[in-house]
Amino acid sequence: MSNTIDLNLSGGNTMKPLAFSWKAFFVDGSIIEQYENGIENKFQLVKDKFDQLVRFSLVNKDYSKCFTVDLKNGFILYNNYRDIKLTKVEYKENIRLIFFRRHTVEMTEQMIEKSHKIIYFLGLQWIVNNQNHSIILQINENGDFIIGN
Amino acid sequence: MAATHQFSESNGAGETVTDGISNANFGNNDSPNLNTTTYPITRGNASFEKYHRSKFSGTFTEISNIKFWKSAGAYVTGESCKAAFDVAYAQPSQTPNADSDVPVAEPGTHNVHAADGSDTIVAPGYTKYWRLQLQTTDSTPAGAVNTKTFTLQYDEV
Repeated sequence: MSNTIDLNLSGGNTMKPLAFSWKAFFVDGSIIEQYENGIENKFQLVKDKFDQLVRFSLVNKDYSKCFTVDLKNGFILYNNYRDIKLTKVEYKENIRLIFFRRHTVEMTEQMIEKSHKIIYFLGLQWIVNNQNHSIILQINENGDFIIGN
Repeated sequence: MAATHQFSESNGAGETVTDGISNANFGNNDSPNLNTTTYPITRGNASFEKYHRSKFSGTFTEISNIKFWKSAGAYVTGESCKAAFDVAYAQPSQTPNADSDVPVAEPGTHNVHAADGSDTIVAPGYTKYWRLQLQTTDSTPAGAVNTKTFTLQYDEV
C-alpha cells in the first residue's frame, strides 16, 4: 500500500555538445569565435564590443549550415546567401543582435534525462520611424528553423 | 560546451548539499537518491519535502528566464504535487505543507531566480531553491502512481 513517485533527474547531467557555435565579425576586421585554440570564449567578449559588431554567424560542426545576421544592412543570410526573405527591404536604424540558446530539459522516472533540446534564437531588432521591430529565427539542432518570437 | 547544469538537493538540519543527484524520488525519508522500495509513501501521507535547485558551471555569460513545471503525468485520485519557488532552505518535513500545486504548463514568466534573487546568473553558482512535496489522501489507490515529467527551461548566452 504505497504511493511513490519515482522521478529521475539527471545525475551529473552535463551540458551536451553544441550543434552550432558562433563567430562574430567586427568593423575593424577582427573576428572572435566561440572556440579558439581549444578554449571557449564567453559571449561577453562580443557584448563588450556590441557597437562594433557588423556580422554574427552561427555555424554547425561540418560548416554545412551557417546563419548570419548582417547588422549593417539588417539582413539574415543562410549559407551566405540572402535566402531568408524576412522582411521588405527598408532602411533600418540602430540594428542590434538578438542571440541566446534556450535549453529545455525533460526528466522522468526511468530516464536520467528524457530529453535535452537546445533551440538557438537568432535575429535582430531595429528602429523604423521611432518604432522597435524585431525578427527572430528559432533554429533547432538540425538546422531547421522557423521565424517567430 | 557552454554551461554545465546539474540538479542539486539539500537535506538535513544542517543542510547537506548533494550536487548532481541521480534521481529525485519522493519517499518517507529525507535523503537524496533514495530508493522508493525502501522508503515508500503510505497513502494518506506526504513525502518528505525536496529542496532542489540548479547549479550552473562552465563557460557562460548569462543564464536567465529559468522556468520549472510539470509537463506530463496524470495524477491519480487524491494525489497532488506541491511546489514553492524561491524559498529559503529549511529542514525538510513530512508534514503536508500548504504550498500551491506545481505548475502544469509553462509559466508565463520565470519562476526560478538566481541565488541572489536576481533574474540572471552571471557567474557559476546556484539558483534559489524550489520545494516539492508529493501528497496523497486516503482515497489514493494503492500502488505506484503515474510517471511524471518535469521540465526545466533556461536561456543561455
